[in-house]
Amino acid sequence: MIIVTDLYKEYKLSKKQQKEMSSNTDVAVPVNKINFECKPGRVFSLLGPNGAGKTTTLRMISTMLVPTSGTVEVCGLDTVKNPNDVRKKIGFLTGSTGLYERLTANEFLKYFADLNDVSKGDFEQRKNHYYDLLDMHDFANKKLGELSTGMKQKVNISRTMIHNPDVVVFDEPTSGLDVITAENIIKLIEDCKTEGKTVIFSSHIMTEVDLLCDDLAIIAKGDLLFNGTMDEFRANQKADTLTGEFIRIVNQSKN
Amino acid sequence: MNKIFTIAKKEFLDIFRDKRTLVRMILIPLIAFPLIIQLITTLQESQSKKEAEQVLKVGYYLNGQDEGIITRMISDSLYEFIPYEDSVSLAKDVDDKEINLGIGLSSDYDKTIQAGGQGEFSIFLRGADKEDFERFNGLIEQEKTFVVNNRLTQLDKGPLYIEPLLIYHNDQSERAEIIAKYAGGILPYIFMAFLFMGSMLPAIDLFAGEKERGTIETLLTSPVSRLQILLGKMIVVVAFGLISALVALVGLFASINLMGGGSPIMEEVNGMLTPQLFVMLFLLLIPLAIFFAGVMIPISVYAKSFKEAQSILTPLNIVMVLPAMVGFVPGVELDYTTAFIPVVNVVLSTKMLLSGHIDFILLTITFLTLILLAAISVFISMRQFGKESSILR
Repeated sequence: MIIVTDLYKEYKLSKKQQKEMSSNTDVAVPVNKINFECKPGRVFSLLGPNGAGKTTTLRMISTMLVPTSGTVEVCGLDTVKNPNDVRKKIGFLTGSTGLYERLTANEFLKYFADLNDVSKGDFEQRKNHYYDLLDMHDFANKKLGELSTGMKQKVNISRTMIHNPDVVVFDEPTSGLDVITAENIIKLIEDCKTEGKTVIFSSHIMTEVDLLCDDLAIIAKGDLLFNGTMDEFRANQKADTLTGEFIRIVNQSKN
Repeated sequence: MNKIFTIAKKEFLDIFRDKRTLVRMILIPLIAFPLIIQLITTLQESQSKKEAEQVLKVGYYLNGQDEGIITRMISDSLYEFIPYEDSVSLAKDVDDKEINLGIGLSSDYDKTIQAGGQGEFSIFLRGADKEDFERFNGLIEQEKTFVVNNRLTQLDKGPLYIEPLLIYHNDQSERAEIIAKYAGGILPYIFMAFLFMGSMLPAIDLFAGEKERGTIETLLTSPVSRLQILLGKMIVVVAFGLISALVALVGLFASINLMGGGSPIMEEVNGMLTPQLFVMLFLLLIPLAIFFAGVMIPISVYAKSFKEAQSILTPLNIVMVLPAMVGFVPGVELDYTTAFIPVVNVVLSTKMLLSGHIDFILLTITFLTLILLAAISVFISMRQFGKESSILR
């Protein structure tokens, strides 16, 4: 379960940044007092155009960034007061997540299992589960730098799940990936839902959202424009397509 | 604590598999000194051999004077004496490198010498070929002694007549002290240079490199505090700096032993390198290595990429290691001022340790100064590593 309450984030802008962004103020607000809830066993999608504040929101949920005000609760734990406990509950994956290319898949997974206090027995069991599921046995002892993009993403998926997190955060997980590799991610999201995990993922691809998510929030320039179930979104749809409706909502907020 | 070592262990493994870093941190320091020393020795030997075998061509213009002076010099087969009719052509041939040197006597040379005056004697040479003159100077000194002895005989005096004092030099300083004073600067300089260079690549790779590879987010969402991440990585940066410095010293001593064997100075140098000296040096170098790491890490954390970090840290290398050159300046010693200046205090402490005359108060001040600086630099690194604007830049 994730509960986001009045979440607000601002950054001080340097003079150079102000110039680059053509901003009149010395403050940027990527997230402006947004509220939403992600429930276990459901997939929540954070939808928005580039620069909407999706990544900043997900980074605050996963404790990488500290909110300026407002709160985020993950499995009943405050992300600011108990960041380490929150991190134990979270698995985090982006489409551009890198790997330690001089380590093997085995070493890489063991490293993150150790950081997450996974016992030796549990590690072996989970590792083998993902090796079987994603057909990874053949390259388990190869250096990660020698692997293809698809293989690397499989390693990253295993790393995300090695500590069996209750909450899985995906930041544009399929961005830049080929169709086959993206399919592995989509399958992972579906599996997480089946296992009763809380899943939140950001995207700007409406077809992906339509396929996977149960609940949806649309944000643009840090403001929350829509928050509800996918069924509610469809019921209120004024445009012909879901993508059209998403664009309509975003454009409406500009006026 | 466990998590810090988990991170450090992984980073060691990662760095040890990076051939580029290993070459620069271990292989180069190890072979640099044997190669440099071998090269210098070979060059010196070949130059000395060449000089010893080379026949020096000396032109002379007697200007109507007696040939005796040349006859006395000519007994040495390593010189070829060529007569000239005038000093202008003599000077020209020296200038054209036809001959190595030229001597020209004044028109009243013989007369002046016989009268007990100063005979004028011109030498034509090229300042750039100083070694030629230095070699020939021995013959001039012989001639000078010949004239002086003749004059003393005329006065019925022995050679001691003009050497009235017999001085015995009783040097109370130990040999180690002398070696430490004149050669002690090189040891800490090596330490500093390789300590810095050895730390630099891991510092860049483990922070800026992690950002560039896109692995930093994964690490930041793992249940470890930023302090634990920082300390885990810092251990590796410090350790590689120390390893690099140690390897460079091993290379230096190996080359001294292999190439300078048998020489009394080398035996003395070996005698100075006691286990106590190494322990004390390492006690000083550990906080210095932490200080260096603490200077590099905030820069590396701030940098967006490996390249950006490298472009900032490479010139910093000069700024940090330059003060280590104070070790080459004679007369600068560890005192209540220099003991507070980082880098300089380690260099001068090392010289002091080598000399064997240890002032433990100054050594303690040096150590505490370094500990304080190391603590400040770790604190600054912590602040920088905790800054969202830096770490996720």
